[in-house]
Amino acid sequence: MIDVMKLTMPFLVEGLWMTFKISLITIFCGSALGFVVGMLRTVGGWAVSSTLGIYIHTLRGTPFLIHLYVIYFILPETGISWLQLEAFPAAVIALSLYTSTYVAEIVRSAVEAVPNGQGEAARSAGMTAWQSMRHVILPQALKMMIPPMGGIYVIIIKGTSIVSVIGIAELVRAGEHATQRHPRELMLIYGMTALMYFVYCYPVLRLARWAETRFGSLRLPS
Amino acid sequence: MDWILDYYNWRVVAQYVPEFTRGMTATMWISLLSLIFSLVIGTVTAIMRISSNPILWRLAAGYVQAIRSTPLLIQIYVIYFSLPALPILDRRLDELEGGILALGLNAGAYMSEIIRAGIESISKGQVEGAQSVGMTYLQRMRYVVLPQAVANVLPPLLGQTAVLIKDSSLVSFIGVFELFGAGLTVLSERLMPNEAFLTVAFLYLVIYAIMLLFSNYAQRRLGGARA
Repeated sequence: MIDVMKLTMPFLVEGLWMTFKISLITIFCGSALGFVVGMLRTVGGWAVSSTLGIYIHTLRGTPFLIHLYVIYFILPETGISWLQLEAFPAAVIALSLYTSTYVAEIVRSAVEAVPNGQGEAARSAGMTAWQSMRHVILPQALKMMIPPMGGIYVIIIKGTSIVSVIGIAELVRAGEHATQRHPRELMLIYGMTALMYFVYCYPVLRLARWAETRFGSLRLPS
Repeated sequence: MDWILDYYNWRVVAQYVPEFTRGMTATMWISLLSLIFSLVIGTVTAIMRISSNPILWRLAAGYVQAIRSTPLLIQIYVIYFSLPALPILDRRLDELEGGILALGLNAGAYMSEIIRAGIESISKGQVEGAQSVGMTYLQRMRYVVLPQAVANVLPPLLGQTAVLIKDSSLVSFIGVFELFGAGLTVLSERLMPNEAFLTVAFLYLVIYAIMLLFSNYAQRRLGGARA
């Protein structure tokens, strides 16, 4: 048992590194996209807001597995050359789109949670709408966005497990390979894999909980 | 209109209507059974979590943390591939049972957090009132706390149910036939990803839309009842 642990550990660590890379790239891309979508949805007119609403509901209403298959298998069918994605960019794009829907809702809720009086006071002090958003509302809203982002990061980390189906050698994939080599130690190997996810996710969840006591919790629409 | 056939050949989809129907039914059943299972676990865990007995609440907290910090896929693998033969059943779980068990255990952790928030949202006076008319702990839970908590938590519970339905697509990895599996069948028999997955995506959206309508209705009804 100890032997198998020693033998498989390096592969699992390599997988964890891949999981780490994908989740880190995704949290940046997904948050940036989600921020734009969320802000446009808040300040944009009716048409913009409802179009983005459809975007969010479509992505939320279908399993992530489907997004991944659409981006990896269906987009290349169109024959357009820049849509012929390799597995890694396909995984990052799919995860980022998925993440953006969550972030967009957080951004919108946070901006709307800033009391109306704040914006009104800024406007009556002579600020333009942009200035009031930039200097008064956003700084307060950003603070409220911090705690739920921890939850989003954990969702991304767990989401990366699914991209193993398009052949990315992340943690689950590494675990699967290890079980093929040591088929009698299934429980041990999957247990170790689960433990590695736990080691990665648990501190993030703790951090998020600390942030909640520090910055207050945001009520999100369910 | 024939150019559409190049991108989405609905004639092929029409041939696979039985598969898609079977897949959709299976997804609904799997989700329903996991939902019931997760609500039972969620309620028990939530009550354990708020108990003052340290063994009980630590156990519950550990379960919730473990589930929340690991991906569902690995939970499915652990339960399906590595659970040894169960003494009561005298055999190993088949893929459908393993899938439902994993989905239920996974959703149960999230459900318990929602239910706990609901229970904690009940004001103390309610409990004290129930206590002063001589209700036992179980009676207080059954007649005073839980009914109010359910009204508070129904909207987030429905949201979590939508997540559960989407997550059920992952049990196709251990060979359970459901909606996503129907898509995989079309892909492997016809090599037509568009027809396979756009159809599946659309069907998931239909389920989601129904859930959304139901959730809005429940929210309106509950809001009306309280006002």
